[in-house]
Amino acid sequence: MKQRKMTFYSWLCSAPSLLLILLIVVFPILYTAYISVTNMNVYHWFNFSFVGMENYRDALFVFDSGFLAALGRTVVWTALNMALQLVLAFVLASLLNIREFRGRKLYKTILMVPWAIPGYVSILLWKTGMFNSQFGLLNQWMEGLGLQAVRWLANDVSAFLCCTVVNLWLALPFMLMIMDGALQAVDKSFYESAILDGATWLQRAVHITIPEIRGIIGPAVLITLFTTFKQFDVIYLLTQQAGARTGANIHTILTYAYENAFITNNYGYSSAVSMIIFAVLVLFSTAVNRRKKEG
Amino acid sequence: MTTRQRRRARRGLAQLLLHLLFLAICFATLVPILYAVSVSLNADNSLLSSNFRFIPERFTLHNYQAVFTQEPVMLWLGNTLLLALSTVAICLAVSVPAAYVFSRMRFRGRRPVLRLLILLYSFPSVLSMFAIYRLLSPMGLVNSRLGLILIYTGTMAEFGLLNMKGYFDTIPVEIEEAAAIDGASRAQIVLRVVLPLARPSILVTAVQVLIYVWNEYLFATTFMTGAEHYTLAAGLYSLQATEISGSWPVFAAASLVVSLPILVVFFAVQRHMTSGLTAGGVKG
Repeated sequence: MKQRKMTFYSWLCSAPSLLLILLIVVFPILYTAYISVTNMNVYHWFNFSFVGMENYRDALFVFDSGFLAALGRTVVWTALNMALQLVLAFVLASLLNIREFRGRKLYKTILMVPWAIPGYVSILLWKTGMFNSQFGLLNQWMEGLGLQAVRWLANDVSAFLCCTVVNLWLALPFMLMIMDGALQAVDKSFYESAILDGATWLQRAVHITIPEIRGIIGPAVLITLFTTFKQFDVIYLLTQQAGARTGANIHTILTYAYENAFITNNYGYSSAVSMIIFAVLVLFSTAVNRRKKEG
Repeated sequence: MTTRQRRRARRGLAQLLLHLLFLAICFATLVPILYAVSVSLNADNSLLSSNFRFIPERFTLHNYQAVFTQEPVMLWLGNTLLLALSTVAICLAVSVPAAYVFSRMRFRGRRPVLRLLILLYSFPSVLSMFAIYRLLSPMGLVNSRLGLILIYTGTMAEFGLLNMKGYFDTIPVEIEEAAAIDGASRAQIVLRVVLPLARPSILVTAVQVLIYVWNEYLFATTFMTGAEHYTLAAGLYSLQATEISGSWPVFAAASLVVSLPILVVFFAVQRHMTSGLTAGGVKG
């Protein structure tokens, strides 16, 4: 009896929250799944019909559709960004933690600034302030060096690199803070004996520091992995804003799904792409959570 | 020179190099912001000349004045504050009790719901934006503030629940048991013991929700039409200078004005930020 009463009160307490989630998160996902098996688009807004798995087939097996290319690009994007972030954050945090380095607090605060500024503002400032071909700072410097102005965001490769730089700028502070905290948690006596044994900096990093901090930075690295894979703002705002495309075609999976829904208005197809992405994320998330439980 | 002096000199040199390196890195980090500050304050509109300098020769507040007089910024600020504060209030009101029971009670259905929430957490809301649009539109919730508040609270309710549940989990149950032995009721325990202990997490959750609404431009521009309904984020988005139109100095000034409140809030709660976020242990 007591158990039943507790169950009732527990559900009662969480009902408002769960109902909101049901309405705004769960139900739209189910509806997206439903749209994904129809041919709903701008011409078939009400009189759409059921097309089965056609949209999924188009996304996965018609190479020209661009989805697989976007998926591949997203994987490269995630790997590149994660590698750069981890290495740079590790090196910077190690330097910050050198003994008797005064002023590290001030430097740390300054390096936090990109994290504190609203992300979309930073991206737009980078877009106009740095990359704009007329008054962007990069081109002013190029001109100062006697070089020709470059349209940074117009070409696929350079736009991809620009996006990487901006993403790095946005994400590094978080990783740096996590690394810094982890390094401070490492027992200093390990290093003393290693130094006595004549271990070099690299040897100490590989054999002591990295194994020691791996458990501490693990959760933060996973969070960043997911956010990088799901990155939308950087790529969308820099290169693909509606009405202001820069000419580079560097879709990641999220911008690809967005474009098919809101620019080309191919709702059925876009929903199928969304469901595939969701499936990938679910698999990924399940694998991560299972490993966490075992580990 | 004795060995000791030599060692001290070498260490001094290393420190100097380290400082130079970090000064360079900090400068490189701040360049986009310094440039925006400089452009927004520069009285000589010499943007296209190549003799640009970071410290303008003549200062002006004209661009800031333009932000407040030529654009309905105060209206946007009002819209943002209304949306942000209602979202934070509703989100905390529904999430705190839910997070508490999911952390402390072992009731039927708890585990499957939790597992489902963790899976749903990895779903980016932009993917279901069209479905949300189509669902809310017949209810008259498109182009309405209530609709946006619903979307924002629904999206952040998940984060609020999982993040605070994670933090409640780290508070030892023994504290509550001790209070119960002293004769405190469940309500008293929650209000007097648990909530004060969970303050950092509640604070960080509130700030995260606030920052989310403050920065959200995609739903705000897609679901709202007409500049009078814009939030600051949507307004700034509409102000941006492109290759052909718009004023970069005014945009730079507006960007800084919009960022400043968030910057202040962020640094005020910064020391709680990493623990308040990772203690929850939500991945996705």
